[in-house]
Amino acid sequence: MSSTTKSPANQEKQWNIIKNVFCLEGTFSLLEGGEGEEEMRQVLRLVQQVGAGQLVLDFALDAIWVTLRKVIVPKFWSHFIVYSKQKNDGDDESSEGSVEVMSRIATAVSELYDSAVSFIPQIHKCEMLVDQTGAVYEACVAGGLMEHFKLHLRASLHSQMPTSFTLLIHKFYTAAFKVFYHTQVGNQGEETDETSEEPIQCGGCDAATDACHCQAITNTFCQVNRQLLELDLLERLAGDVVSSLLLGVITDHVTTTCRDSYDQSRIKQLEKWVENIVVGWLEVVYCGGRGQLSSADPAIQTLVTNSLNQTYIAALYHTYTTTRIDQLFNIVIEYPESQPALEDIRDCLDRTHLRDRLVSSLRSAIQTRLLHPGVNTTDVLHAYISAIKALRVLDPKGVLLELVSEPVRQYLRGREDTVRYIVTSLTDESCSELCEELLVATPLVLDDCPTEDDPSDPWQTWTPDPVHAHTLKSKSQRTADIISMLVNIYGSKDVFITEYRTILADRILSQFNYNTEREVRYLEHLKVRFGETLPLLHKCEVMVKDVADSKRINSSINSDENPRREKQKFPVSCMILSAQFWPSFKEERLKLPEEVTRDLDTYTEAFQELKGNRTLNWKPHLGQVQVEVELKNRTLNLTVTPTQATIILHFEGRSKWSIEDLSSVTQVPKTVLRRKITYWQTQGVLQEVETDVFVLVEGEEAGEESGEATVAGISSPSLAPPAIEEDEAESVMASAQDQREEELQVFWSYIVGMLTNLDSLPLERIHAMLKMFVQGSVECSQQELRAFLDRKVRHHHLIFTNGLYKLPKN
Amino acid sequence: MAQNIAPGIPSTTTTTKNNTEKVVAGRDSHSVSKRLQHELMTLMMSTDKGISAFPDGDNLFKWVGTITGPASTVYDGLMYRLSLEFPSSYPYSAPTVKFITSCFHPNVDLHGNICLDILKEKWSASYDVRSILLSIQSLLGEPNNDSPLNGHAAELWVNQTAYKKHLLEQYKKANDDSK
Repeated sequence: MSSTTKSPANQEKQWNIIKNVFCLEGTFSLLEGGEGEEEMRQVLRLVQQVGAGQLVLDFALDAIWVTLRKVIVPKFWSHFIVYSKQKNDGDDESSEGSVEVMSRIATAVSELYDSAVSFIPQIHKCEMLVDQTGAVYEACVAGGLMEHFKLHLRASLHSQMPTSFTLLIHKFYTAAFKVFYHTQVGNQGEETDETSEEPIQCGGCDAATDACHCQAITNTFCQVNRQLLELDLLERLAGDVVSSLLLGVITDHVTTTCRDSYDQSRIKQLEKWVENIVVGWLEVVYCGGRGQLSSADPAIQTLVTNSLNQTYIAALYHTYTTTRIDQLFNIVIEYPESQPALEDIRDCLDRTHLRDRLVSSLRSAIQTRLLHPGVNTTDVLHAYISAIKALRVLDPKGVLLELVSEPVRQYLRGREDTVRYIVTSLTDESCSELCEELLVATPLVLDDCPTEDDPSDPWQTWTPDPVHAHTLKSKSQRTADIISMLVNIYGSKDVFITEYRTILADRILSQFNYNTEREVRYLEHLKVRFGETLPLLHKCEVMVKDVADSKRINSSINSDENPRREKQKFPVSCMILSAQFWPSFKEERLKLPEEVTRDLDTYTEAFQELKGNRTLNWKPHLGQVQVEVELKNRTLNLTVTPTQATIILHFEGRSKWSIEDLSSVTQVPKTVLRRKITYWQTQGVLQEVETDVFVLVEGEEAGEESGEATVAGISSPSLAPPAIEEDEAESVMASAQDQREEELQVFWSYIVGMLTNLDSLPLERIHAMLKMFVQGSVECSQQELRAFLDRKVRHHHLIFTNGLYKLPKN
Repeated sequence: MAQNIAPGIPSTTTTTKNNTEKVVAGRDSHSVSKRLQHELMTLMMSTDKGISAFPDGDNLFKWVGTITGPASTVYDGLMYRLSLEFPSSYPYSAPTVKFITSCFHPNVDLHGNICLDILKEKWSASYDVRSILLSIQSLLGEPNNDSPLNGHAAELWVNQTAYKKHLLEQYKKANDDSK
C-alpha cells in the first residue's frame, strides 16, 4: 500500500474514501453507518499517513454544523412557523386544541431527536480522529465532542427560534401541567367540588370524560421531555415555562387558601403542598413520571431539591406574606382570632424582605380605613389596642408597632374625646378589655422615665433590634404595656388623671348614694399604675374621702338629737366638697326660693357649729330635688334639678308667669329657663298660653299645688344633675377645654402687655416671649397659640397684618 | 450698664452705683431676674388703666413702658413710650427711666430725661415698676414747676389753653417724626 500512495489516482481514491467516511460534503443522507471497525481503522491510518488529520476534522465538523444550521434546525422550526402562519390567518387563535399542539410538538421533537441521533456515529468518528491524529477543535465546553455538538445544536436552535414557539411550548406545558395537577389534586382528594364535575368533563384535558386523553397527553409529554432531556435542550427550551407554571399555581393556591380566614395556621400545610406539587411536577418533567426521582440521575435529584428550596419555597413565603400583608388591617382588627395568621406572618417575615412593605401597607390601610372623621373614637381606639396586641405578636420588640402606630397616635391626639374615652373604659367594668389591663399591677412606662436594663432579661435569647430601631424611642418605651401605650398618646400622666378627676367628680355627683367602695378600688389601681405620689391622684383621694365625710356629717346634722331639725321645712342632705381638690364647676346662677334658702342657712349654721371655723358655700344649681306636685286631679312624684324645682315652686303662689319675670326672680338666664320649663311642659304641668307666658295646668278646677319639696343635698361646691333630664346629662364640670381657655387667659394679659409696649410682633416672638416671661409657664404649643390668637383676631381683639399681630387702636 | 446712663445724671452717682453693681451683680442677678419676672406678672394681672410695660426682646433688664395721659388733664388720651433699664443691683438702686416719645413737660428735658425724686434720691427698694409708672403718670398732670428741666413748658403751664395747644403740636410732631 505504501508504494501506491504517491500516485495521483490513488490519492484521488483515498480522498474519496475519507470524504465518504466523514461526509465532508454534507451528504448525510447517504450515510448508512456501513463501515465496520476494521475499515474505520484503515481510514484513520490513511488520514494519519497523509498528515491531514486537522484538515479532515475541520472539514468534517464544519459539514455537520452547516447541516445543522441549514437543514435540521429550519426543519424543526418549520413546524412552528407553519403554526404561527395559520394563527395569523385565522381569527380563532385558540382553535388548535391541546392535542394538536401536543402532537405537533411531539412530531417536531422526535424528528429533531432522530436527526440529532443520526449524527452520533459521525461524532464518534470525529472523536476517533481526534484521538488518533491529535487534531484539535475549538473546545468551548468541557465534556468532549458530544457536548460540543449539543452546544452547536442549541446555538443553532436559539438563533433561529420563531416567536410563536414560546407561546406554543407554553401551551404544551400548560396542558400537560393541567393534566398533572388534576391527577395530583384527584389523588389528594383536596378539592371535592372538582370531582363532582368529573362525570361530564375531565378536569385535566377539558374533554368529555369518556373521551379523556389525559393518558395520551402524559405519554406524549413524557416522550418529548425524555428526548429533549437527552439532547440537553429541556432546561433551555422549557425551563422557564416549567417554573413559571409552578409559580403561577403556587400564587393561585396561596391566594385561595388565605382568602378571608385568619384563624388557622396555614404555612405548614402550604409548605407540604408546595413540596408535593413541585417535586411531583419536576419528577414528571425530568424523570418521566411520579415517584421516579429516587431512581433518577443524581444531578437531576440535586436540581430538583435545589429549585424546590431556593425557588419555590421562597416563592411560597413571598406570596404568602404579600397576601397576608394586603389583609393585615383585617387581621389586626380581628385579633385575637387572627393569632395563627399573625404567627405565620412572623415566621415568614424572617425569611423574606417584606418588612418595609408591611409597614407602609399597613400604614396606608390605617390611614384610609381608620383615620377619617367617619370613624368613632371608640373604634379608632379599639383598633389601636388591637394593633398593639397584634403587632406585639409579629414583633415583640415593638419596632413595627412604633412605626405603624405613630399616625394613629397623632390622630388620636387630635380627637377631643380620646382621653375621656380611655379613662371611662379604664374604669368601666363593662369594657373588660382595658379594665383588665388596669388590674395588671405594673407601673407605667413612659417616655420620660427610662428604665434600666432588666437584669432578668434572658441574655441567651437576645436578638438585635430590627433595622429601623435606631430611629425610634427607647426600648423600654416600645415594649410598654397597653395602658402605657395609651397614656403615651399624650405623653403625660397628668392629662389622664385630670380627666379621671373630672369623670370621678361627675360620677360622685350624679349618683348621690355615698357609696364609694368601687371608686376607692379603682383609685388604688390607678395609684399602682400611675405612682402613689402624683399630686393629682392625691386630689382624687380627697374627693372620694369627701363623700364619706359628707355622709357622716349629714347623719350627724340630721340626727334626731339635733334641735334644729324641727325648724326645717325640707330635710337637706348635702355633699360637702373640699373646694381646693375638686375640678372647677360650670357656673350657673340660681336664686333659690326664700324658704329653701332659710333651710340651707340652718344647715350651714349646724355645720359651722360642728366644724368650728369652717363654713359652706352653696352651689344651688347643682343637686337633686324630690318634689311632690299636688294638682287638682293628680299628684306627681318627681326627682328634678334645683332649677326645675325652683320654677315650679314659684308657680305655687302665682299661676301665671312670664319668662321675663321668672328670670328676674330666679336670676336664671331666659334661655336656660325656657329649656328647663320644657320639662314641666312635657309633664303637662305648665302650658305656654302666649309667647313667653306660662300658666299652671290644674285640670278643670283650680286647686292647691304644693311644692313639698325635699331638697336633697346641696353642697359646698356642688351637686349633680338628675338622671331624668334627657338632654341635660351633660357634665357639671367645667370641660377640659374651658379650663384650658382659662389658662390661655393668663397668656392673654401678657400678650396685651407685650403688644401695648412693643407695637406688633410675629407669632414666633410672642410664643418665645411667653415661654420666657410667664412664670410657672403653662405648656402651650405654637399651633395652639396661633389658634388662640386667631380667635382673638376674629373677635376683633387683635389685628393681624403682614404676619404681625397688633392691638387694634382703642 | 454704666455707659448707658444718661448724661444728666451726675457722674459721682454713676461711680458709686457702679461699685455697688459690681458687688451685687455676680451674687444674685438670678434673684433680680426673679424679682423682675414677678413684677411683670403683677403688672400683667393688674387692672391699672393707662400704664403698661413689657421686657423689650429677650432681655429682662430692659423694658418698654407705655403711659396714657391721665383724664381731665391736658395730657388726656396722649400716649407716651418710655424705656426702663434695670441695674443688676435692682431693686436697691433705681432703674433708669426715660421718655422715648418726646414729651413736652416741665420736668422732662429734650432728651427724655425725667426729673422725679423717687427715681433719684428718694428711691426705695419697696418701689416697683408699677409704682414708677403710676408716679410718672401723675407727674404729667401735676408737674413740679419749681425745678423745671424744660423752662418753656414751666412758663407756659400757667396758661393751660396755650399749653395744651403747644403740647398737641409737639405731640403730633413727635408722632410724625417717629413714623
